[in-house]
Amino acid sequence: MSAMDDFVEIHRLVSLLQAIDVGLLVVDRDYRITLWNNFMENHSGATADRVMGKSLFELSPDVPEDWLKQKINTAFALSSRAYTTWEQRPYLFRFKSYRPITGMAEHMYQDISFVPLRGLTGEVEQIAIVLYDVTDVAEHKLKLEAANRRLQATSRIDKLTELFNRGYWEECLQQEFARYRRTPRDCSLVMFDIDHFKAINDQHGHPAGDEVLRQIGRMLYDTCRSTDIAGRYGGEEFGILLPDTSLANAKVMAEHLRQNAAALRVPHDPKPLRITISIGIAALTAQLPDAKTWVMLADQALYQAKAKGRDRIVLFDEHAEQEA
Amino acid sequence: MGLVTFRVLICDDSSFARKQMARALPAGMAGALSFATDGRDALEIVHRDKPDLMLLDLNMPVMDGYQVLAALQAEHSPVQVVVVSGDIQPEAQKRVKKLGAIGFIKKPTNPFELLPYLQQIGADLGAEAQTPPMDAELDIPVDAMDSYQEMVNVAMGRAGALLAGVLGNFIQLSIPKVNMFEGGELHMTLTHVTARDTVHAVCQGFVARDLAGEAILIFNDASFEDLGKLLQRDGDIDEMAKTELLMDMANLLIGACLKGISDQLERPFSEGRPVILGRNARLDDMLAGRHSLWRPTLAVEIGYQVEDHNINCDLLLLFTQDSLPTLDRQLTALGARR
Repeated sequence: MSAMDDFVEIHRLVSLLQAIDVGLLVVDRDYRITLWNNFMENHSGATADRVMGKSLFELSPDVPEDWLKQKINTAFALSSRAYTTWEQRPYLFRFKSYRPITGMAEHMYQDISFVPLRGLTGEVEQIAIVLYDVTDVAEHKLKLEAANRRLQATSRIDKLTELFNRGYWEECLQQEFARYRRTPRDCSLVMFDIDHFKAINDQHGHPAGDEVLRQIGRMLYDTCRSTDIAGRYGGEEFGILLPDTSLANAKVMAEHLRQNAAALRVPHDPKPLRITISIGIAALTAQLPDAKTWVMLADQALYQAKAKGRDRIVLFDEHAEQEA
Repeated sequence: MGLVTFRVLICDDSSFARKQMARALPAGMAGALSFATDGRDALEIVHRDKPDLMLLDLNMPVMDGYQVLAALQAEHSPVQVVVVSGDIQPEAQKRVKKLGAIGFIKKPTNPFELLPYLQQIGADLGAEAQTPPMDAELDIPVDAMDSYQEMVNVAMGRAGALLAGVLGNFIQLSIPKVNMFEGGELHMTLTHVTARDTVHAVCQGFVARDLAGEAILIFNDASFEDLGKLLQRDGDIDEMAKTELLMDMANLLIGACLKGISDQLERPFSEGRPVILGRNARLDDMLAGRHSLWRPTLAVEIGYQVEDHNINCDLLLLFTQDSLPTLDRQLTALGARR
């Protein structure tokens, strides 16, 4: 090939790099810019002759220096490609979205590849940073995720009480049980039941019974801490999972529940309804073979509370059980 | 000691690796070779045949290489052991030396690395040392699944050593699990992930001439706290920070594994950009609706666990079915190379 052919070929390659519709810049070990293509010029407003030879971090105070240095240094150290996605950092350079008028995003979402470039010696001397505009993909994915979250939330919630439904609550229970197996730490389960609920339904009608359930749901939600997991277990039975809570502390919480329930005045004609609840508590222990048994023990305590006259709390006591 | 009387025991669970080690020995030794497929098997042969040298793998079922070394040390066995391992962490090398191994060679076995140890323990190496034994002499049938497993084992070891360096901790490697995956429940093939776990996963496609696949890296949500601490990332480990950690680990582990495989197959790979499959969700939910195109696929699972920390992840390498002939051809070539 003649020198002229070489020149033509090089010119063609450079034009291609300039014209390609992805951001392309190359930096050396001192983070100095040695290539800055048209895409970068147009989106940043900084021309190549202005930025060439300058440090990447002089360009804009927005460029996350520590983060970017770590990525570049890793690409140098491992001589292998590295990638970042818009999900970990929405953008490296704050560029306007490509569709400033019909687009929804305020800025361009960017995926970035860090590509080590070897010099003639075979050593990695520079890193090419390739910027992909993924704004459309990101917007769609964010919308989809939001929609899915809403869907998921609806499928987890009991409509009447607005607590978790049994299916989801049991999943949480299973997870807590599995977590305990990996790293044991205090965890308690509170099960309670509205006393004489059938009588309320029979005497005052189902709408009254539903209102009682709604009010209990709200009361329960207000009484729980943010880490507690409350669900409607069955008709008038509720379960609360108390992570990081000893049996003694669970009893304190249950006492609040009992008092708050007794203080409820559920609007009804001619006079408001008053209710009480019976509560059983069981701690999670290493001896329990599965989550089902755990619920069973709390249920046993709950039945004892009923048998002893209702409106009270019974703790499941494994020692008493062993004696029996 | 003449070559004929010099007895060598090769212990590795992979038939592919056993053959590679055997080929790395001088031709004259082929007659005095015996083989074991796990540690317990090896100890029996040591007691019965009294070999002079044992080439020992580390990660094996039933009884691993460390346990074999410990047993030999306890009974003051005269057999000399050279560890031949895919796990190349400096800490692994230190541990086996402490347990009495005279040498440590990385896989795939290179005869020129083995030679000095043969000389050291007095094998009389003449001109024969220059020629490998013929395949006919060795008669070691190699199972295709074994060769896939070994390929991944070597790549996994390199990635593990990088990870150990970055985290400053010993990484416990498990034996890669190979199976033909027919779609369905992906988590069933995984060690550290159950159906109920919430995980973070990233996947990256790769393609080479007549070969294609995907790597999926899966972190249990519980791993990030410890991981953040080890990497001294300041601030709360929120969702964004978890994704950052996930991507950093993916770059490291997937990058090194793919490079390890590409080197062994002598095929350059093109990599796609990684895609976050999902965050804080169940694996099956993430993959729901994505299996429609899946055909029976070769799946190799690698488990990494950071010693003394609650950090574990699964790396899954999936190869399309039409990649299998390429894998078979290239691995056969690798097994025969010297």
